[in-house]
Amino acid sequence: MKRKPSAASAKETFVVAIAAAVLVSAVLAPVAYDYGSSTQSDGTVSVITVSGTISATTVDGISEDLRNARTNESVKAVVLKVDSGGGAVAPSERLYLEVLRTAEQMPVVASVQGTGASGAYYGMLPADEIFVLSSTQIGSVGVIGSGGSVPYPDSVIRTGPDKAQPTTDQRERTVESLKRQFVGRVMEHRGENISLSREEVAYARTYLGPEAVQNGYADRIGALPTAIDHAAELAGMEDYDVARQEPPSSLGLILLASQTDNGTEIYKRSDRTNGLVPVTGPLMVDEVPYHDPEVTGNASA
Amino acid sequence: MQARELTGPAVAFVVIVAVVVGGAAVVPLVTGGDTPEVTNLAERQTDLDAVRVDPAEESGEITMDADAESKTILVDRAHGNELSDEKLSTLTAALVENGHEVRFVTQEQARGQAWNQSLRTADALLVANPGRPYTSEQLAGVRAFNEAGGRVVLLSDPASGSGASAVTSLLGLSVQQPASGGPGLSSSLGVAARSGYLFNMHEYQHNFESVYATGGSGSLSQGVDRVVFHDARAVTTADGQVALSAIERTRLSTTRRADTYAVAAQSGDVAIVGDTDFLAPTNAYVADNEAFVGNLADFLVSGQKTSNAPSPPSPERGESAPTRPAPTA
Repeated sequence: MKRKPSAASAKETFVVAIAAAVLVSAVLAPVAYDYGSSTQSDGTVSVITVSGTISATTVDGISEDLRNARTNESVKAVVLKVDSGGGAVAPSERLYLEVLRTAEQMPVVASVQGTGASGAYYGMLPADEIFVLSSTQIGSVGVIGSGGSVPYPDSVIRTGPDKAQPTTDQRERTVESLKRQFVGRVMEHRGENISLSREEVAYARTYLGPEAVQNGYADRIGALPTAIDHAAELAGMEDYDVARQEPPSSLGLILLASQTDNGTEIYKRSDRTNGLVPVTGPLMVDEVPYHDPEVTGNASA
Repeated sequence: MQARELTGPAVAFVVIVAVVVGGAAVVPLVTGGDTPEVTNLAERQTDLDAVRVDPAEESGEITMDADAESKTILVDRAHGNELSDEKLSTLTAALVENGHEVRFVTQEQARGQAWNQSLRTADALLVANPGRPYTSEQLAGVRAFNEAGGRVVLLSDPASGSGASAVTSLLGLSVQQPASGGPGLSSSLGVAARSGYLFNMHEYQHNFESVYATGGSGSLSQGVDRVVFHDARAVTTADGQVALSAIERTRLSTTRRADTYAVAAQSGDVAIVGDTDFLAPTNAYVADNEAFVGNLADFLVSGQKTSNAPSPPSPERGESAPTRPAPTA
């Protein structure tokens, strides 16, 4: 009579113990697996997305991702996943400098998806290698901006003739200086590979992937996984983890922010130039002049 | 009794917290911060000399050498001509300062016989970027005016990209497709302009479309070493002389071919310049532009036109006038 309950209690305790062990194991097993695999992994390849218009906001996010990659000891290489037709000049240069800072510390590989033109190309210049697809459009090494500005009405008081109203000549000199900087950096970074002259680069043409590989704008044809694998190889990693850094906010917000940043939506009509003139007059490292709807049509058909 | 029992654990608590927190604060001071060394990449990557673009030097005065008596220069404003008052002011100021008269023909003043009447009282004609075609009578009048020694200066910019501007520039059409069935003004005078703009990717003033042109022969190039033309077009002349040619490695936008392109040419009493921007006040004093503007003003007043030409219409003069295709030079 007295033994029976004691035997039952021992059995119950045994079951509870097994159940508890299973539960605890279920919780700890993934952690243990991660630990196990991380000790197996040589490090991480950080895939950072560069997409849409290059603006101060987008570059803020990308800079943060790049800084994290530089300070995180487990990150051994960076892959830039690029799909952008460019943007404003200053953010493009900031992107270039951030990528350069990263490239001095670890291998950086660019993987261009649809487009890597103008400001986006500027930004990826310091990459050790640039991968493109056969349908990628890459290049457009040039600067575009409005010429003169619309005269201010008498109701606006300014303190000098050049205040907020540069002359056409001044704008030309500004654009020329920015172009020289851009072309100079292309020649510097792509110098050994590029078969085009400084003059040919300054034509600001956009090239299709295969031609870009041939003339040295890009290095190889290959998709993102190949670029990631190559970045890991450059960093000397056989087993590696991949951490993807997507843009921080939704597409709509980015576009809105970028429009506000470069002021493209603010235009006024000018009688003198027979057209719309941007009030803030941003200088764009953009591929605006190049647009071939037929090619796009064929590609999507 | 109870408080005494609590003292021990409380002290232990305070000591542990102090050691842990204090230790965490002291460790970075001992080991040093983790701020990485910052290299000034922007400065290292910028070649200040390479990116510096100096302003174009502006100097000189627009002077006229011609010792001519007071002449009347007619400016065509009747054919949708695109030439801003700003640009025109450079030339008119030089002419007026030297005692010449500048008159404008409006659309009303060019109707019917009025056009020839205007020409009759003038010594020279300035036509810039006409947007509307000339009637065969008007063309015949200009030709007769020119044959009588009346000087004609044609200024022609490349067709502007904006829709409002005159794409159907008479001079452009004169080479590609004749306007209103008759020969265009420039081709009937033995000069023509080519489509597209000139550019130079090697040597230019601030922009690839601002090409340099050097002096050739004739009075238009006297004292001119280099002139800057912005967004210029190439001109040709049947048997005249090239006054200014774009420097080597200049290319034409439509063909991308590098060639020797004339930007200003003279054929007898007709001169053609493939640009109007050199007249703009901001461009008129860069390089030797001021000398060229002066030469152009001199060219306008140096003709020897027989008075009262083109002659008033006579009954026997009919539709035969526009048939003469040969240049006048």
